[in-house]
Amino acid sequence: MNDLIPSPSVRATEGRSTHAVLSARSVVYSYAQAPALKGISMELHRGEILAITGPSGSGKSTLMLCLAGILAPDAGDVTYDGRQISAESEAQRSRLRRTEFGVLFQFGQLVPELTAVENVALPLLLAGRKRRAAVTAATNWLDRFGVADLALSRPPEMSGGQGQRVAAARAMVTEPAVLFADEPTGALDALSGEQVMTQMVRVAREAGTSVVVITHDAKVAAYGDREIIVCDGMLESSRS
Amino acid sequence: MTAALSTGHAPAARAAAGSGGPSSVELLRLAASGGRSDRLRISLTAAASALATVVLLAGAAVAFISEGDGPYGPDVLDQPGLRPGVMIAMLMLCVPILVFVGLCTRVGAPARDRRLAMFRMAGATPAETTRIAAYETGLAAFIGSALGTAIFFVGRTLLDSTKPGEFTTELSDGARSVTEGLVRSLPTDASIPVLAVLALILLISGGSVAMSTIALRKVRISPFGVTRNTTAKPLRKTSALMFLGGTVGLMVLGLAAQTAQGMILPVALGAFVLFVLAVVGLLTGSAAISSAVGHRLAPRVGRPDLLIAARRMIAAPYAASRATASVLLAVMIGAAIQGVRANFLAGADSTDTFYADTFRLLDMVLIVAIVLSAANMLVTSAEAIVERRRTLAALQASGTPRPVLARAIMMETLVPLVPSVLLAGTSGMLAARAFFGSSVERNVFIETDGAQQFAVVGVPVPWERLAVLCGATIAISIAITAVSLVLLGRSTRVAEMRAAV
Repeated sequence: MNDLIPSPSVRATEGRSTHAVLSARSVVYSYAQAPALKGISMELHRGEILAITGPSGSGKSTLMLCLAGILAPDAGDVTYDGRQISAESEAQRSRLRRTEFGVLFQFGQLVPELTAVENVALPLLLAGRKRRAAVTAATNWLDRFGVADLALSRPPEMSGGQGQRVAAARAMVTEPAVLFADEPTGALDALSGEQVMTQMVRVAREAGTSVVVITHDAKVAAYGDREIIVCDGMLESSRS
Repeated sequence: MTAALSTGHAPAARAAAGSGGPSSVELLRLAASGGRSDRLRISLTAAASALATVVLLAGAAVAFISEGDGPYGPDVLDQPGLRPGVMIAMLMLCVPILVFVGLCTRVGAPARDRRLAMFRMAGATPAETTRIAAYETGLAAFIGSALGTAIFFVGRTLLDSTKPGEFTTELSDGARSVTEGLVRSLPTDASIPVLAVLALILLISGGSVAMSTIALRKVRISPFGVTRNTTAKPLRKTSALMFLGGTVGLMVLGLAAQTAQGMILPVALGAFVLFVLAVVGLLTGSAAISSAVGHRLAPRVGRPDLLIAARRMIAAPYAASRATASVLLAVMIGAAIQGVRANFLAGADSTDTFYADTFRLLDMVLIVAIVLSAANMLVTSAEAIVERRRTLAALQASGTPRPVLARAIMMETLVPLVPSVLLAGTSGMLAARAFFGSSVERNVFIETDGAQQFAVVGVPVPWERLAVLCGATIAISIAITAVSLVLLGRSTRVAEMRAAV
């Protein structure tokens, strides 16, 4: 039952820079009157794979949403590559996500009407790339995730694991500096989860992409170079 | 009983659970136990049913005007020969309202269907879940219809008054004379039989239940969730054949009817059948157009908004067709009215405003019908956004600008609408010209001897009015779809990504 135990090559940490590409300082966020984050500070290094774990409702997903610029914190700063994104407008943060970040959710992120290759090409088309070039790049990324044969299939025709690998290819197609993955294996069986994690981590390492993985699964967290544990909206501990 | 008690309560509970299922009262209670969107659906269904009842009763009041009733100020009510026109106008107004009732029964339905799936998990049978939905709709429509009846009769009592005015009477030689006296503005004195009122209430309630049940046939509710049956590919050839067959048939029948005397009933029946054929062909053809345009665009376009719209047109070709059904119907009837108007005005004396006034009334009804039809689009568009909220939220979260999503939603509704509106307008106009002719006899005075003679004058095609009809319909549809995009902001919030499947 070592389904999700990563291989040594996947777990390799060499070549990782100690320079922080993304950092949070005293981040506070509340949903209406319910505080979700109570002043968290943390850093993500270039090329690092960081697992953020914690029990359900601990605030780990909210932390990821703040780091990705999807939510603007109520207080505190989020800085990406020297740029204080928490102070930027929604439009500026959207552009940043489109060009610098990739986001992978547990489910529901693929457009059901588009084919796999069109789903993956979508961020490139949004960036103004010509269709032919976007489709070629998308096909290449599908191949890297081992799902090139599904290029013309639509999401409802795929298994959960296949869909998640297509979604991972879409998150990586812009070659983002940071990939955010919120419970990427949460809806998958153990074998599919292992395939998704192995390929995602391998591809991210090849591309030099930093990864933030949100999970409550210790096996998924084991793919990270470092793990931080969030509990009740605060950073409980950090271990490498 | 002793045995059951001695072994605990489980056998008794099982026995109770197995005794024939829940009562109708219990199913009704479950039907009414929903959340905010369920209350909105029930309220809208009731309100739309009330509105439909008021309009249908107003039409019935005109139909039941008897010899002793009146006189009425407006000629369209006072002249028995013109009353069918008023009834047709009221029926025309009812079409979008009834479509609206049907659409209201689907507001928030995805959430309702998920609730029904939970009932299935708790042991409800598929028939019981269908009955819960049917009870909910039927009850709302019945209450709305009863309320509409009350509003109609209270309003009728309040509006019943006479005032001095003129009314037209037709003399035995066909000439008209204007008489002064006390007149009513509305047929508030015409009595509608109780049986007709009851039949109307039952018709609206039963119709709503039928529409709700038919809509549920597309949805498979299992204990594990809700799946929608994929819609069959639109039948392009069949749709084209039905539309062309209906339109050409109407033209042929119209031309034949000009020479046939005393065949009113067969001609009317034939026209109705051919009209329905053309409408069904147009509506299914609209889905075929949507699919064909989507297939043509999807492999070629590089714009993300157009790509999303094109793929949606292929995957759900009937979505836009459903949204625009009553709009297309209104345009088709509206174009026919404009054709008939051109014919009557070409044959009338330019100083006689009788026909112009009558058609002005029909134009007003047409405008109301188009606005109501466009309101139906609002419900459908809003529903489509809410249904896709998780995908839209995820796209927004991963950096897709909201305007791209907004344009995609606009395009998927409007791209198939434009050719369909043009086809509807053409079909209505051709049918009207075939039935009423492209030339008409007109009284003219010959200047030299002052004698009155008939001259044959050509009936111009009312291009301007057709352009206004089609253009205004498209403009109203764009505006209404744009209004539905207000929901996009709410539906692309991060919280929506965690919404239940």
